Amino acid sequence: MLVFLEQHGNELQRGSLGVLAKAASLGDGDVGAVIAGEGARSLAGEAGKFGAAKVWACEDAEVAQPLPQPRVDVLAHVVEEGGYDTVLFANSVLAADVAAGLAARLGAGLNWDLADLELRDGELIGKRPALQDSVYVDVGWSGTPRLALFRAGSFDATPSGGGEPEIADVSPAYKDYSTAVELVSQDAAESGGGPSIEDADVIVAGGRGLGSPDNFTLAEELAEALGGAVGATRAVVDAGWYPYSAQIGQTGKTVSPKLYVALGISGAIQHKVGMQSSGTIVAINKDPNAPIFEFSDLGVVGDVHEIVPKLTELVRARRG
Amino acid sequence: MSRPSNFPPPFSTADYVAEPTDPADERIEVGVLIVGAGPAGLACAIRLGQLIEESPEIAERLGDVPVAVLEKGKQPGSHLLSGAVVNPRALRRLFGNRLRMEDLPSFGEVPGESVYLLTRRAALPLPPPPPMRNHGNWIFSLSQLGRFLGERAEEGGAMILPATAAQKLLVSHGRVVGVRTGDKGRNRDGGELGNFEAGSDLVAKVTVLAEGTQGHLTGVALDRFALRGADPQVWELGVKEVWRVAKPLNRVIHTMGWPLRTNKKYREFGGSFIYPLGEDMVTIGLVVGLDYRDASLSVHDLLQELKTHPKIRKILEGGERLEWGAKTIPSGGFNSLPRRLHAPGLLLCGDGAGMVNIPRLKGVHYAIESGRLAAEAAFRALQRGETPSSGLASYDAAVRDSFIWRDLYEVRNMRQVFGRGFYVGGALASAMTVSKGRIELGKMRAEPDADQPLLDGNVSYPAHDGKLTFDKLSSVFASGNKTRDDQPNHIKIERRVPREVAELWAHMCPAQVYEVGAEEADGTVRVELAPSNCIQCGAITAKGGRLTPPEGGSGPEYSKT
Repeated sequence: MLVFLEQHGNELQRGSLGVLAKAASLGDGDVGAVIAGEGARSLAGEAGKFGAAKVWACEDAEVAQPLPQPRVDVLAHVVEEGGYDTVLFANSVLAADVAAGLAARLGAGLNWDLADLELRDGELIGKRPALQDSVYVDVGWSGTPRLALFRAGSFDATPSGGGEPEIADVSPAYKDYSTAVELVSQDAAESGGGPSIEDADVIVAGGRGLGSPDNFTLAEELAEALGGAVGATRAVVDAGWYPYSAQIGQTGKTVSPKLYVALGISGAIQHKVGMQSSGTIVAINKDPNAPIFEFSDLGVVGDVHEIVPKLTELVRARRG
Repeated sequence: MSRPSNFPPPFSTADYVAEPTDPADERIEVGVLIVGAGPAGLACAIRLGQLIEESPEIAERLGDVPVAVLEKGKQPGSHLLSGAVVNPRALRRLFGNRLRMEDLPSFGEVPGESVYLLTRRAALPLPPPPPMRNHGNWIFSLSQLGRFLGERAEEGGAMILPATAAQKLLVSHGRVVGVRTGDKGRNRDGGELGNFEAGSDLVAKVTVLAEGTQGHLTGVALDRFALRGADPQVWELGVKEVWRVAKPLNRVIHTMGWPLRTNKKYREFGGSFIYPLGEDMVTIGLVVGLDYRDASLSVHDLLQELKTHPKIRKILEGGERLEWGAKTIPSGGFNSLPRRLHAPGLLLCGDGAGMVNIPRLKGVHYAIESGRLAAEAAFRALQRGETPSSGLASYDAAVRDSFIWRDLYEVRNMRQVFGRGFYVGGALASAMTVSKGRIELGKMRAEPDADQPLLDGNVSYPAHDGKLTFDKLSSVFASGNKTRDDQPNHIKIERRVPREVAELWAHMCPAQVYEVGAEEADGTVRVELAPSNCIQCGAITAKGGRLTPPEGGSGPEYSKT
């Protein structure tokens, strides 16, 4: 198995490390990882901790920018060189492009939006949520190489304590069309620090029950104390209380943190489908009939304005 | 008391009529442009395909795309919703011996029928009144029929352009020359996103508007060419659900009475339908006239309440809701038909033109027949290498000679008499049926739905249990609607209105688009909008606002309705 590790600013994306850890846990001792970009070699050790036995590192100038096509060349080369029959990706804008390009290049089947992967009687089976996330369907591949793109947050990035991996330098022949694109400029979206909601282990999300945009500081303070990110429902984004980038749900982002704290969120199904795969769901809402209590692990009926500041205090005290 | 029509929306026909603006070599040129992939538009495309096949020389003259169909939904059928018990007459004429009724995706012929007058607890069986007799009619999912007709139209050479809204009517020198499609990829403030795609001018020799109920460009064309009929158009709102059920239903059921109130002052006219869809599904819907006055009335919630009736609960017991949707139905009938069904370069068909027989609860076969007749008129006009008015005018003559006209004339006053209350109206309706419409009751004027003065109502609805009864947001989810939230608002309303008007809208909308916001210093309230919930039923246009098409591909994704 081969895992595409995405790196930005000399740091490996947690999502792709999660996929690597998953691949290693499937018992295949021969998990490879591809890192492309400046400083790729220096990140090999980190990949080893998450289970990579061999790291294919490419530091060519062609892959210095986060562009998909040169990476397709790198992966196609590695798949052939290493004889890999499976390539896994963690979803991101870049990875989705690379996966699609690689599928086309190799004439391979790509299962996308998977939430899990398992080995059953020696056969790889992917799990894909379907029908608005109400069921999981088993998906397979009719041939090799098998390509898979996983949903954000599908797996925990848990180090498996592996040793130093073998490092192989890669420098494929780049296709003319792969290097025809040039990155003109790059803009960072505004972000208030802290983890992004796709990467966060903890999300504190606010709904209309917060009462006013100013009260989002309640969510922000609790999120900061827990080391998490802030999410929002469609209703509050619609009302202009919080930016669209934080919207969780059917028409926003799909997240699965370990802890999801819902403040003043009623739990309409449009919101539920974006966060129902979270580890532990805690809801605070003053309406005891709010649907969110039907799918939370811990529900508190009460006023967020009273409870949240105290909760934040306690968390801060506990964490020192 | 306030009337919604006192607070007109910021909407001007002139904003939606334009000259072509794309440079000549960038315009998309087609032969006949059909707007709307519903039964009318697709019947028109299918018939054109048949005619063109017989005369290849015309096809040649029409260029690369002889027939194009614009559809705002993701695919034909995405926005189609009806009962639907269909009179097969028009389908038989359209397909002749090319297809039999058995070849169409139906749920078979109507196996039997019952009509009940409901009270809160009881159901009194009535002999089906003549207009409601459905022997020989077929049960369809209109959404599925739409997809099937779309495939037949494509086989016949039509090009279907889905997820594309017809935004503006292109008029040049007093003649309709096509439409301009809507932009895609704009943000809430109208700014261009990374995936922005400008609309384009689609230029055609003949444009057929088959947009269905509350057609956006149909409304624009009626005003631009002064085609509005003797009476204003009025509408009803239908909300329906499709259920998987434990045991098959062996007949079609219609109900009258509860949960609607029979007292004349409320003007609550309507009823429900429950049809079997094969062995394991049923569809249940409630239709209510939008001339109602009680600001707290919600058809969505009345349907939820209806399902708790012992008679109906039994049918749904052990089942599961699969889909939900809503749509308005034009109900003005004969007197509200446009003065003419054509204008230079333009033909109007189906529900958009108001061809619905409310007492019989039928319109699909008129849509199909009018689409077929429109195809023949368009073809006639093209044959001479131009579109002289006589070619298109032959469409009006053909419709007047058809069963559409005869049927609608017969029941021309049927809907209006129910403004006199349920029982008086029922008696007058029977008299009209028995006399086949020969009895003259004097002309009964329809008043626009938005002119009805509002009553400050206080109807309350039972709490939802999430199994038999649902809240509006769950229903929107069950319509398959996942519209992009950050697109420009497509619903034109006056945002500051008296509280009862805001409450009317909030209760009326089955998709929770409107919310009563903060009160202003002058006592009015601000109406808050969630346009991405909109399933484009059109009720807002009837009750004092104006629905325009959102970005193509938005709205519900019906597959069983």
